[in-house]
Amino acid sequence: MHYDVIVIGMGLSGLMAARTAAEIGKKVLIIGKGAGSLCLFSNTIDVLAVLPKGIRFNDSLPQWAKDRPEHPYSKLGWEKIHRALSSFISLFPPPYSFQTTGIENGSILTGAGTFRPTYLIPMTMVAGTSLKEGDGLIIGFKGFKDFYAPYVASHLKCRGITLSLREAILQEITATALSRLFEKESFRETIGKEIKRHLNGETRVGLPAVLGIKDASRVKKGLEEIIGAEVFEIPTLPPSIPGMRILYRFKEWLIQRGVTFLLGHPVSKANLKGKSCEGVVVSHPPITNSYTADRYILCTGRFIGGGLAADKEKVFEPILNLPVFHPKLREDWFKNSFFNRHPIHEAGILTDPSFLPIDENGNLLLENVWVAGSILAHHHCFEEKSREGIEIATGYWAAKNAFQI
Amino acid sequence: MQLKTEVLIVGGGATGVGIARDLSLRGIPSVLIEKGDVASGASGRNHGLLHSGGRYAVTDPEAARECISENRILRKIAPHCIEETDGLFISLPEDGLDFQDQFLRACKGAGIPTTILSRDEALDLEPALNSDLLSAVKVPDGAFDPFELILENARDAEHHGAKFLLHTEVTSIAVDKNMAKGVIAKDLIHGEEYSIHASYIINATGAWADQFLKFAGLRIGMALSKGSMLITNQRLNQRVINRCRPPSDGDIIVPSHTVSILGTTSVRSEEVENFDVSSPEITLLVKEASKLIPAVQESRFIRAYAGIRPLFQSEEKGDDRAISRGFVLIDHGIRDGLHNLITVTGGKWVTYRLMAEKTSDLVCQKMGINLTCSTHLKPLPGAGERMSVTERLKKIGQRVLKDYGEIICDCELVPREEVENFLKGEEVKDFQDILHRTRLAKGTCQGGFCVYRLLGVLHDLEVVKGDSNTILKGFLEERWRGVRPILWGSSVKEQELVESIYKGIFNL
Repeated sequence: MHYDVIVIGMGLSGLMAARTAAEIGKKVLIIGKGAGSLCLFSNTIDVLAVLPKGIRFNDSLPQWAKDRPEHPYSKLGWEKIHRALSSFISLFPPPYSFQTTGIENGSILTGAGTFRPTYLIPMTMVAGTSLKEGDGLIIGFKGFKDFYAPYVASHLKCRGITLSLREAILQEITATALSRLFEKESFRETIGKEIKRHLNGETRVGLPAVLGIKDASRVKKGLEEIIGAEVFEIPTLPPSIPGMRILYRFKEWLIQRGVTFLLGHPVSKANLKGKSCEGVVVSHPPITNSYTADRYILCTGRFIGGGLAADKEKVFEPILNLPVFHPKLREDWFKNSFFNRHPIHEAGILTDPSFLPIDENGNLLLENVWVAGSILAHHHCFEEKSREGIEIATGYWAAKNAFQI
Repeated sequence: MQLKTEVLIVGGGATGVGIARDLSLRGIPSVLIEKGDVASGASGRNHGLLHSGGRYAVTDPEAARECISENRILRKIAPHCIEETDGLFISLPEDGLDFQDQFLRACKGAGIPTTILSRDEALDLEPALNSDLLSAVKVPDGAFDPFELILENARDAEHHGAKFLLHTEVTSIAVDKNMAKGVIAKDLIHGEEYSIHASYIINATGAWADQFLKFAGLRIGMALSKGSMLITNQRLNQRVINRCRPPSDGDIIVPSHTVSILGTTSVRSEEVENFDVSSPEITLLVKEASKLIPAVQESRFIRAYAGIRPLFQSEEKGDDRAISRGFVLIDHGIRDGLHNLITVTGGKWVTYRLMAEKTSDLVCQKMGINLTCSTHLKPLPGAGERMSVTERLKKIGQRVLKDYGEIICDCELVPREEVENFLKGEEVKDFQDILHRTRLAKGTCQGGFCVYRLLGVLHDLEVVKGDSNTILKGFLEERWRGVRPILWGSSVKEQELVESIYKGIFNL
């Protein structure tokens, strides 16, 4: 089977590239061994949190980008980033929509009781952004070991309560199991009433971000009606249920548009001829299949995703063997403090402004492979809080550029 | 607060705690003061090799004899802290067999039993070994759990009346003419000040021995030797694997619980506290250890760490490995005219009990009383009661099949219940103390998940001291010292995961 485009990688950048190509009627194959960081860490859409406060991205981003000419955002500018974000937003119509809290970042409460600046916030988390000290009841669950209400509450000077679940007596309960429970009305009824009994004047109730995979807005609304207070979600340790919601929504939309999904096995090899990719090989033991397309978009992420790998001497890109920009000596990859900006964060694939891969001297390496997402060089997505923004914007524009639209 | 005791022991390593137990069994009251938790120094930073003495047989026969004798005693008094693995000394083609002859003769001289194994016999026992090996010698090496052994000594000492002041630092010594009358100390957690009067003071501060003596205006020559070690993600060997050649870098692989520990290097250090494992040391350890077990080359490593050997330096200088691993007992009355001060330092973990016995004998001699040692006869309290390492490993497998509630550490399968029991039982003062007493943060993710959960549990039980995110950040920095040197391969993914959680999701 021959495709117009094969997207390699099923994280946020790959999904965004596939959507963009499918939207203009292209025949798309998306191959992923998993959903990468999306279902582990992504809750909200971080775009950039290192700009001066109180100023629109539109006003402050151009100068920031000018100071960092190699940053992926500098290949785009705010106007184009914004168009990509709008495309993402339009995939999530209300009730489960993504919102901004004003002209700049909002701050969401996290499972460590800290606040994190972020740009697009799912409606289930918005009520947590304007939380006042003392006004919030935080609820955790016995047996759910990835969230501790008293831990979160202690940092907010409010109350945190751990409820026992009939469903988890003497055993553990996972984030996905809890999410499925919340989708049941009878469960919401019981838990909601119990939370209401504990309420002591608080107007907001924070729960771990496990309010259903399928219909989180209904879960939220249902709980609010029973409790009589506003309910919000708090992101915590992986896996990320809000990330899974994003994946499921993309999948639903893409499948409707006839996109072919190949999930579970990675691309093991690419056939290169000169400056062209002629096909990719996926091995699903015991079968090995080859797939071909006119164009390819590489969205394989960083180390966790498998887009980058490191041995004792170097960082490399295992599928196309593209050169990886990185500090040469292993001693220089990381700095002395965990909280430093580590030079290895900047490691990645160099591209031209249209996201075609280039070498250190600017020579074009491949003419029909575009590169997008966190595998790109020259960003510090942890410190900048830019991971999802880079994924969405570069995934969108790599696909646009591939079809010259 | 004023305290008065017969003997004040400074230092909560194996030696100090061993002395506390020895004195308490003789009925002599003592107070032990330690600025961290027990086993904070070299006693907690080693490979946990229960030496047969084989390693020192050729170069240091006296240390070898001490090792084999103590090895036999520890098997009797602390069977639950020891895994009786045996050890092999492997002769590689590049080293030849000459050293093996010398080795066998020296072991015989030191009373260390040996069995010669052919190449095939050795590979039968340890299939992961380098198949080019020429021959192997089996000796009664073993693996022990340093934390458990030291805690068992502490429990027994406390049971017999010794008092422990942990997280308490000596700030000065009161010297009056030719007597050290006592010390001033500060509780580092609560800030309380102690004035402790004692008839005798024992300096069991290991690598800090010289620093401590400065309080009394004295000095001794210490050669601080940093030894670095590397932990693999899997247990590669069932027996301790040694290289049959004169002691050198990277020639020991010790199986420990679910992992193997590669050791060691020997680098002269000026620092007692701030030292890290360097990249060349890692490269050297991997290179040398993979000559013994080739799979080391492709292994995933989970942590590197180092300890400081407190070697006592006599007048002549030389290679640190040539300095005796035997211990030294200094009567400062004879040496410096300070009659009630004793320093004990040097030695091996495995000889801690003997060091404690000789020190306690000296105390008795000074007191003019005749009480004899019984630490070699009386088993530690958990012997026969507490699970041995091997039994525990078997139990872990069964545990998860049952309803044991939350497992807060998925790598090492530590149940929440275990942490709660520690908090109920012994006097655990801070977060580090719990990490010392459980397998938390010792597995593949090195605390990436379980330390957040541990803080959560502490919050649930309302026993958090201070700001939990400051504790969390401190832990991540400490963890960083151990993982930074080994970041390649899968470890880089692990690092991205931990950064994604703590810098990403939690924005610390």
